[in-house]
Amino acid sequence: MYIKHKRGWELPESAATPESIYLKRRDFCKGLAAGPLLLGAGAGIFADTAAAEAADADPSAKLYPFKRNDTYKLDRPLTPADLVTSYNNYYEFGTSKDIADAAQALPVRPWTVTIDGMVEKPITLGIDDLLAKMPLEERLYRHRCVEAWSMTVPWSGFAMKALVALAKPTASATYVQMTSFQNPDVAEGQQESFYPWPYIEGLTMSEATTDLAFLVTGAYGKPAPKQNGAPLRLATPWKYGFKSAKGIVRFTFTDKQPVNFWQSIQASEYGFWANVNPDVPHPRWSQATERVLGGGDRVPTLLFNGYGEYVAGLYKDLQNERLYV
Amino acid sequence: MTGRRIYPWLDRGGRLSVLKLVVFLALFMPCAWTLLSYGRETLGPRPLTEAIHQTGLWAIRFLMISLAITPLRRMLQWPRLILVRRMVGVAAFGYATLHLALYIVDQSFDFRLVASEILLRFYLTIGFVALMLLSVLAATSTDGMIRRLGGRNWRRLHRSVYVIATLALVHYFIQSKLNVAEPMVVAGLFAWLMADRALGWSWGEGGRRPFWALAGLGALAALLTATGEAAYYRLANGFDPWRVLAANVGSHFDRRPGWIVLAICLAVTTAGLLRSRYAPQARRSQTANRITATEPAR
Repeated sequence: MYIKHKRGWELPESAATPESIYLKRRDFCKGLAAGPLLLGAGAGIFADTAAAEAADADPSAKLYPFKRNDTYKLDRPLTPADLVTSYNNYYEFGTSKDIADAAQALPVRPWTVTIDGMVEKPITLGIDDLLAKMPLEERLYRHRCVEAWSMTVPWSGFAMKALVALAKPTASATYVQMTSFQNPDVAEGQQESFYPWPYIEGLTMSEATTDLAFLVTGAYGKPAPKQNGAPLRLATPWKYGFKSAKGIVRFTFTDKQPVNFWQSIQASEYGFWANVNPDVPHPRWSQATERVLGGGDRVPTLLFNGYGEYVAGLYKDLQNERLYV
Repeated sequence: MTGRRIYPWLDRGGRLSVLKLVVFLALFMPCAWTLLSYGRETLGPRPLTEAIHQTGLWAIRFLMISLAITPLRRMLQWPRLILVRRMVGVAAFGYATLHLALYIVDQSFDFRLVASEILLRFYLTIGFVALMLLSVLAATSTDGMIRRLGGRNWRRLHRSVYVIATLALVHYFIQSKLNVAEPMVVAGLFAWLMADRALGWSWGEGGRRPFWALAGLGALAALLTATGEAAYYRLANGFDPWRVLAANVGSHFDRRPGWIVLAICLAVTTAGLLRSRYAPQARRSQTANRITATEPAR
């Protein structure tokens, strides 16, 4: 009978380092070293090699972190990054909140941004060229979903008014319409062709040029994860979250009020303005309170999500409009 | 009559019924899973909301399963299924109560707010009415109540389960934000069960329907589901109904509720066919059927 005695250095094959990690061992070690530092910054989203690779492939990664703009104060702590990046409404990838994995299929480079409509001259440029022209900064914003939950996120990006200035809209333009990507090959939700894809959103010119309107490219000091709307999304924190379109490819300046995606699906529940107001209920639920992600508390909702001092003036003469739906 | 208490896992003769035991334990599984997930914090950042959805989902599933017992008894030639119908129905009531209780917790026990929300939001009103009616059925589900009400009155009262199921289904539809694939499947299966009862006019309530009738009914239910889906999206969201219908023959047809309903109906009907062909229930005398204690547990 053959009895095998292992010599000290003989290891089972199962103990061998997986080839994929061996081939990327230098990045793996870098990831390990940076781990404790990154965790401190709340960027646990980059704990694995694949994500670290993606960050290297993103040419804008070296621009981060952006300088902090402290104008807008938070009244509550930041939501942990792992919640913000794992609980997402992005119907292009499915109607559950669990679309983070599906969203990885979206190619974010090359990403072309088109600026057209009532402008001096239509512009088409890559997202990185756009970033090079914009005043990059980081802002801490509250985000209030129409579903009565909220979070606070450190967004990195640039003021929308800078993009409007770049666009040079004509005097007749009164709205800016944003169109998100259309790619059914990678976005499962868009394969349901009877939905009115692509996602469309809109703001008035005065809303788009108010300082609070923020175009976002990153979060937590890094390029935004795809499920959060990379590489370009809107953050209008005084409105319900569905106004903050993700994956924007086009800005069209127009004189007709855009009919946004949710408005075309259910106008009685989702309107153009969608300003946050605790006294105006959604037809199916009250908007008086919101569940804060992570903390677990249910807190009172604030008019304009607490940003009234910056934006209430925009609506002074619009009291006949359905401002809060 | 033995003086022994009839526990849920015993049959009427006081002997252990494996069927009843397995079903009884299974009825607790969704609740146990939800509690465990809550403890392990794997219900997501809004665990209460998720738990409310899960309990509501299982309430309506168990309600539909309880409605499927009688047809399944007949289709699968499995009369002993009747033994579990009551406990499945009571489980539906239990989960529906948990569903409301969790909603109250989610509103921080503000009972005034809960009451006003139930009054103001139509789909909550419907759900609450369904729960109230279901609680009457739960309260009259005991042997004692069946005796007190008498067979005829008890049956009349419990026919209200069809209304309750409809209300619950409408509540489920209205609650959905946009995607109604799930409630549509439940609605399609509910339609199949109701159509099967309608067939009772031709073949008698307990009479075996031929395979072609059941399969045809399944196809009809699937067709109703597909057209119902198109009609729903047209009325609720203004979608082009022809595009919705076309999706049933598109590249992702398997996602459409119509096909899912068809698959389930055909699976059950085929199971019944196979049973009757290859493993038919042995014919028994009337007397032997009544003495359930002598029957081996299935």
